[in-house]
Amino acid sequence: MKMLMKNNYIILLLPFFFMLLNSKTAAQEDSVKSEEVVKLKYYNENNSMQYLVTENYLKIGKKLEPLNNKPFQLYLDSVAAENFIAKLTTDKSGKAKSFLPTTLKTIWDASPVHKFIAVVPGKEDETVAELEITKAKIQIDTASADGVRSITVQVTKYENGEWLPANEVEMKVGIQRLGSILSAGDEPTYTTDSSGTVTVEVTRDSLPGDAKGNIILAAKVEDNDMLGNLLVEKNVGWGVPTTYDTNFFEQRTLWSTRFKTPLWLLFMAYSIVFTVWGTLIYLIFQLIKIKKLGKSASV
Amino acid sequence: MENLTSLSSQQITRDLVPQKFGRRGMIWTGILIIICLIGIYAYYRQLKNGLVVTNMRDYVSWGIYISNFVFFVAISLVGSLITAIFRLSNIHWSTPLTRIAEIIAVSAITFASIIIIVDMGRPERLLNILLHGRLQSPIIWDVIVIGTYFFISVLLLYIPMLPDLKIMNEQKNITPGWIKRGYKFWGGFWKGTKEQFKISNRAIIILSIMIIPVAFSIHTVTSWLFATTYRPGWDSTNFGAYFVSGAFLVGAGGVVVAMYVFRRYYHLEKYITEKHFDRMGKALVLLAFLYLYFNINEYLVPAFKMKKPEEAHLTQLFAGEFAPLFWFAIVVGMVIPVIVLLTKKGRKPLPMFVVGIMVVVGAWFKRYLIVTPTLLHPFLPMQDVPQSYKHYFPSWEEWAIAMGSLAGALLIITFFVRIFPIIPIHETIEEQKEVTDEKVTSQPQLKEKENFIPVTTGGLLAKRQ
Amino acid sequence: MSCNCNKEEGCGSNNSRREFLLTGLLATMAAVGCSDEKTPFTPQEEVALSGQKVKLLSVDGEIIEVDKAFLKPIPDLPTLTNSDERKGIPGKKFVMVIDLSRCKNLKKCQSACNHMHFVHPGQSWIKIYSMQDSEHSAPYWQPTTCMHCDEPPCVKVCPVDATFKRQDGIVSIDSDRCIGCRFCMAACPYSTRVFNWEEPVMPEEVSKQHYSCETSVPQKKGTVGKCDFCPDMVRKGELPHCVSACPNGVFMFGDMNEDSVTNGAETFRFSDLIKDKSGYRLMEDLGTKPSVYYLPPVNRSFPYETGIENQAAEDLHHH
Repeated sequence: MKMLMKNNYIILLLPFFFMLLNSKTAAQEDSVKSEEVVKLKYYNENNSMQYLVTENYLKIGKKLEPLNNKPFQLYLDSVAAENFIAKLTTDKSGKAKSFLPTTLKTIWDASPVHKFIAVVPGKEDETVAELEITKAKIQIDTASADGVRSITVQVTKYENGEWLPANEVEMKVGIQRLGSILSAGDEPTYTTDSSGTVTVEVTRDSLPGDAKGNIILAAKVEDNDMLGNLLVEKNVGWGVPTTYDTNFFEQRTLWSTRFKTPLWLLFMAYSIVFTVWGTLIYLIFQLIKIKKLGKSASV
Repeated sequence: MENLTSLSSQQITRDLVPQKFGRRGMIWTGILIIICLIGIYAYYRQLKNGLVVTNMRDYVSWGIYISNFVFFVAISLVGSLITAIFRLSNIHWSTPLTRIAEIIAVSAITFASIIIIVDMGRPERLLNILLHGRLQSPIIWDVIVIGTYFFISVLLLYIPMLPDLKIMNEQKNITPGWIKRGYKFWGGFWKGTKEQFKISNRAIIILSIMIIPVAFSIHTVTSWLFATTYRPGWDSTNFGAYFVSGAFLVGAGGVVVAMYVFRRYYHLEKYITEKHFDRMGKALVLLAFLYLYFNINEYLVPAFKMKKPEEAHLTQLFAGEFAPLFWFAIVVGMVIPVIVLLTKKGRKPLPMFVVGIMVVVGAWFKRYLIVTPTLLHPFLPMQDVPQSYKHYFPSWEEWAIAMGSLAGALLIITFFVRIFPIIPIHETIEEQKEVTDEKVTSQPQLKEKENFIPVTTGGLLAKRQ
Repeated sequence: MSCNCNKEEGCGSNNSRREFLLTGLLATMAAVGCSDEKTPFTPQEEVALSGQKVKLLSVDGEIIEVDKAFLKPIPDLPTLTNSDERKGIPGKKFVMVIDLSRCKNLKKCQSACNHMHFVHPGQSWIKIYSMQDSEHSAPYWQPTTCMHCDEPPCVKVCPVDATFKRQDGIVSIDSDRCIGCRFCMAACPYSTRVFNWEEPVMPEEVSKQHYSCETSVPQKKGTVGKCDFCPDMVRKGELPHCVSACPNGVFMFGDMNEDSVTNGAETFRFSDLIKDKSGYRLMEDLGTKPSVYYLPPVNRSFPYETGIENQAAEDLHHH
C-alpha cells in the first residue's frame, strides 16, 4: 500500500515535471537563432548546358529547414527588365532551377564575368543573393601508353577575349557511379596546375561496365568560387562487360512471390490438400446418400 | 460398466435428453455473456484506436492473443484423442466422453480462428489471405490445416449424432419450437436403417483415421509459426512434438473438467462413472509424463550449452521475471497432477476435477511463457526505443478480449449442451445391450478385460450394426 | 541536386516513350548543331518528357533546345505502377556499408529518416545501438538499418506477399496489402521492423497521398514499416536520407553491380573497401545474407564516450 501511495505521488508529480521540461525546451528553441538563407549555384554541364539553382532554407542552429513555395526573381549583372533571367518558386526541397533565356545573348556574350542576382518580387532594390561567375570550359581526354591508361582534364576560363588555363581548380576525376564519381586514381580529388591541366593515372582495373564494357568517365568541379560547378563526361570502353544476373530473382525459393513457389512445396501441399479434401467431399456425398436413403425409407 | 446393466433404453433416454437451464445454468450463461460483451467492447476500442490499446509493442509484437490462440489450438486436439484414437483402438469406456471431447474441439478451434483475426492489424483485409495467399508462409499452412480440422471435427460431431437426433425427434415437449425444427432439419432423414448405419459407421471410421494426422498437423504447424524463426526459445527442431504432447495434456485436462461439471449438474453419475475418472486419470498421468519429458528436453539441452542468445531467455525463465509463472506451469501443471493422479484416491472425481483445472490453467500460462519471454530477448539489445517497449504485461483490453474468447468457447459448449445430448444416447443404449448380452453369455471376469482388447476396426463396424 | 548521375546502357533504351535526361538533351543539342561531342550513354535517371521544347542559352552563347521537363529542379519521374515498384530497378543491386569507426551516435541519420518517412514518434527505422561484444572488449556505436537480406526471413513468412524482395535487392513493404499479422517482425533477427500501433501522425496532404512502396509514405495504421533503402531518392539520382544526413560519412550507399559506394563526399570501390577494412555482415551464421556491410570500429574518429549524451542511460554498455 505504501508503495502504491508512493507511486501515485510520482504520477501526481509527473505533469509538473513534464511542464518544466517543456518550458525548458521551448525556452531553448527561442534562444536558438534562426536565419533565412538564399543561395545561388551555377552549373555548367558538358560545356553547353548551363543553369542556376536557387536554394532557400531556414537555418535553425545547425539544422537546415527547406523553405517551400517562396518566389524569387533572377537577374544577370544588374536588376533591370532587359537583364531578367527568370521568375521562380522554390519546391518542397527549397530549391528551384532556372535557365538563361535566349534574350540575354548579347549581355552574356559581352563579358567574361557575370553576376547573378536574386531578388524578392516587389523588393527589387534589395539583393537577397548574388553570385559572380567567370565563363569556363572543361575538357576531358584519355590516353593509353605502355598499358597505363590516363585521363587528362583541362579547365580554361574566358579572360580578355581568349580561353586561358585556370590553375588551382580542385576537381574529382573518375568514373560516374550511382550518385557520385569514383576516383580513377589514388587521390580523392585533383588540382589543376599552371597549364590548367590534371593528369590522372587510372589505377582502377577491371571495373564493371555495361554489357559492352563501357564506363563513363567524368570530371567534376564542385562549388568553385570563381567557376561554379562544372561537369564533363566521356564514354570509354575500359570496363569489364557485365551482364546482370536476374536469375536470382527468377528462382523458385521460399522468399519468392506466390507466383514462384518452389515446386516441391507446391507438390507436397497440393497432394496433401487434394487427398484430404477429396476424402472429405466423398464423405459429404455419403451424407447426402444417407439423406436419400432416409427419404426413400419413409415413403 | 456394470452399473448400466439395470437401465432400460427409456431410462437412458430420459436421463440423457438435454435439459433446460436451471437457475444456476442461467446465472452461468449470463456471466459468460457479460464477459463476452466486455470482450466485444474492448475489441471495438481496438478497432477504433488500433492495436495501441494493447500493451504489445515492436519487441513483444505477439502477446496474450497469440498465446491464447495456441492454447485454443492445443485444447482442440482432445477431439482427436478421445474420439479417434480411443474409437480406433476399440476402447469402449470412452464412449460417453466422445461428444464432450468433440464439442470442446469445435468450440476451441472456432475461437482459435476468431482470436487470430483479433490479433490482426488490418482484420478487414482478411480476404487477402485468399486473394494473395503465399504457399511459402507457415501462416497459410496453418489456415489450411485449421480449416480442415474444423471441418473434420464438425463432421465427427455431427455424423455420430444422427441417431440421437432421431431419438430427439421422437421426444415430446421439446421447447422452444426452433430447436425441434432444428432436429428435424438436421436429423429428420435419419431412419436408422441398416444401410444408413453401414454408411455412417464407415464415414466415422474414415473421419477417425483422417483426423489424427490433421490434428497432429494443426499442432505441428502452429509450433512452426515459432520454430521457423531464429529466436532463442523458438528455434527448436523439437517444437512440433513438444506442442503436440502439450496439447494432448491440456485437452485431456479440459475433458476431465467438463466430465466433472456435466456429471454434477446433469446428474450423470450413472453414465460418467468413477471408473471413467480413474481411467482418464491414468491417461492424464501418461500424458503429463510425456509433456514433462518434452519440457526437460526443450529446456535442459539449451541450458546445458547456454549459448549467448539463449542465456538471457533461459535465466529469465528459471530465475528471473518469469520464474514464478514458469515454475507454476511446470509444478502445478505437470508435477503435482502426476503425483496426485498416481494415487488411487487422487483419481476420484473431485480431486480429478481440481487436477484438471490445474492442468488447464498451467497450460494456459505455459502458452504465455512460450510466446512472450522469447520476444523480450532479441538478438540485438532492446535500445533506442521508449521504455514501454521493453516490457510487456497485457492491457485491460487484452485481458478482456482473451477472457471474452474463453467465455465465448464455454458459451458454445453451454448452448450445445442445452440443445443436444452431451452423452451419446444411441451409443450408450447399444453398448448397454452388448454388456447385458455378454453378461448372459460369458463369465463376468472377462468383461473388464474386453474393454481394453484392441479389435480391428472391422470388428467395431460389425458390432455397431 | 546535381542533375547528372550514373549512366548505364540497357535500361530501356528501346523505350520510345521514355527518354533519358542526357540522351534527350544531347540529341537535341546535336540537332541544333552545337555539341562538340556526341556521347551515346544513357543515364539511369528516367524522366517523363513533356514534349514541349524550350530554347535556352548555352555557355558559348549558343541557343539550344531542352525539353520543358528539365526546367524543374528535379524532373518529374514517370509514375510507377505497383508492379513496377514490386520489380525494382533493373540492373541494380543496392548495397550499404556502415563504417563503425566514424559513428559517434549523433543520430542525424535517425532523425532525417524518421522525418522523411513520418515514422511515429518514439519509433525509428534506424536504431543506433551501444554495443559491447564481451566484457573486456571496447564499446562502440552501431547504427542498423534494414539489412535487405538476400535470403530474407521476413519475406519467407509473409502470408500475402505484402513484403517482398525486388530485383535490385531491396526488401520493400506494400502497406496497402499488409494484413498486420506481424509474423515478419517475429522472423526478423535484426529487430528492424516497426508496427503502426495507432494512426500515424502526419500532415493531411501527406496522409492523403497514394501509398508508394518506394517512398513507404504514407504509413498506415495496423501495418508494418521499416527502412526501404530510399529507392525513390535513387531514381532521382540522390542518396538515401540517412546517407546525406550523416555529417561523419558513416553510411556509404551504392550499387554492387557498379562495385562502388559513396557517402556523398567520398566514393570507394566497394570490393577494395571491404577487403582493406575487413568488412563483415551482422549474424552471418544465420544465413540471411544481408546487403548491409559493416567496417569494424578500428582507428576511430571519435572516442565512444562522445556519443553517450545522446543515448538513454539504461541503453549503454550492452554485451
